[in-house]
Amino acid sequence: MKQLVLGGLLVLVLWSGWPDSAVAVDQAQLQSINQSWSQSAHALANVNCSSCHQNNSAKQVIQQPTHESCRSCHEAQVDTFLLGKHGIRLLEGQPALTPALAHLPMQAAAHDKQMNCNACHDVHSVKTLPASVDSCLTCHQDTHSLNYKNSRHAQLLREEGALPRPSTASTTCATCHLPRQTSASGTVMVNHKNTYTLLPRDRMVKEVCMNCHGMEFAYNSIFDDDLVESNFARPPTLSMDTLKMVRALEKQRSGNSTSE
Amino acid sequence: MAKTQRSFLSLSALFNVRNTVIVLCLILMGWLGAAFALDHKTIFLPGVTSNGHLLLEASCASCHEGFKPVSNETCMRCHEAEMATDAHGPKKFRDLRWAAELEKLEVLTCTTCHNEHVHMFGRGVHLKPDLCMICHEGIIQGELASHKGFSPDGCWTAGCHNFHDHRSISTGFLRQNMGQADMLPKPALPTRSIQPELTAPPQPDLGKEFIGGRA
Repeated sequence: MKQLVLGGLLVLVLWSGWPDSAVAVDQAQLQSINQSWSQSAHALANVNCSSCHQNNSAKQVIQQPTHESCRSCHEAQVDTFLLGKHGIRLLEGQPALTPALAHLPMQAAAHDKQMNCNACHDVHSVKTLPASVDSCLTCHQDTHSLNYKNSRHAQLLREEGALPRPSTASTTCATCHLPRQTSASGTVMVNHKNTYTLLPRDRMVKEVCMNCHGMEFAYNSIFDDDLVESNFARPPTLSMDTLKMVRALEKQRSGNSTSE
Repeated sequence: MAKTQRSFLSLSALFNVRNTVIVLCLILMGWLGAAFALDHKTIFLPGVTSNGHLLLEASCASCHEGFKPVSNETCMRCHEAEMATDAHGPKKFRDLRWAAELEKLEVLTCTTCHNEHVHMFGRGVHLKPDLCMICHEGIIQGELASHKGFSPDGCWTAGCHNFHDHRSISTGFLRQNMGQADMLPKPALPTRSIQPELTAPPQPDLGKEFIGGRA
């Protein structure tokens, strides 16, 4: 009974005000936040503190804006995020996903990190480059993820040096798992549904790999489990039967047409 | 004497069994009721949830409306993008050549192949991997010379065919893209650029509100 009362009290305390006071900052922190914001794309786009931290109608200060606030400008990004594994729990009214719930191996230090926009994007500097690799590796520690740094893709990124956002010449985690897509209206958006290109693997080939690589190279890579595990550390050695068959068919057809 | 003792024993045994069952039922009902009341819904799961849905397995209402069967609409809330060009969709079966095939396997209902909380054979499919043979058996029995004698369970497990999406793995697509170089001449990733509205950052319009707690 005593435990129940204590538990109830704790819930009440947490509910009534703890999260708000937890985000309170001191003068130095505020200055550093203002600094990173003033150098951000948000500042130059005239997205000020109140754009996210103030309720439009009641002019009430929102200490911790949620994905709903981001959605007022980044609708397609947030909507796709909510349909992927990272965001689906928020969409379904469940507590946010934490790496502790994952089946893939995750960094122990990140186990309690809640998956929302802020988990990957530094909301004040809003640089997308850290969100394209570093943020992923804060949590993910499976072999494929850990091998990224040794891959040719990572080397290309390093060679490019400091960038405001991932370029078209470098390949990050996001290039393949949160791919850029051009909508019918011509706007380029980042599809945040992280499962979209994951399976079946042929979807990754068409949506992502074939932006840079030939079809056979792409298929022979993506269906080689060891190569995927090594994060594409070497060119493919697989020679898929399905491609051999299509080549044979092609040969047969061109043979027939020349004899006709 | 002996007789009465025996009847007494058997009566008490019956009594005990009955009591035990009642007590067990009460415990079970209490346990289920508590689980329901305290929102520990995972104990009602009838089996293992697939990897794809594991993260929302405690959110029964995401897919279930009472005890009604799960509808296609429910699945499409999340999977619309993947099903944009369904090669085995309603359009295909409006064609009279294929309409009768639906009697063999009702593939226009998602749950025909994608059940949940049961054993999966990959790709969230609970039917055995030779499911294509229900309609396409002729292909490996000689109708298509190149596929004669192929294993009945290899169509998709070998990575050659995708039931729903023929955009990137179909004979047409593969033929069209045969013989390309390993690296295409130019990366064709969409570029993202930002047109800044201002030339210099404005002054922050909030600040003191965040110092030391609630405003």
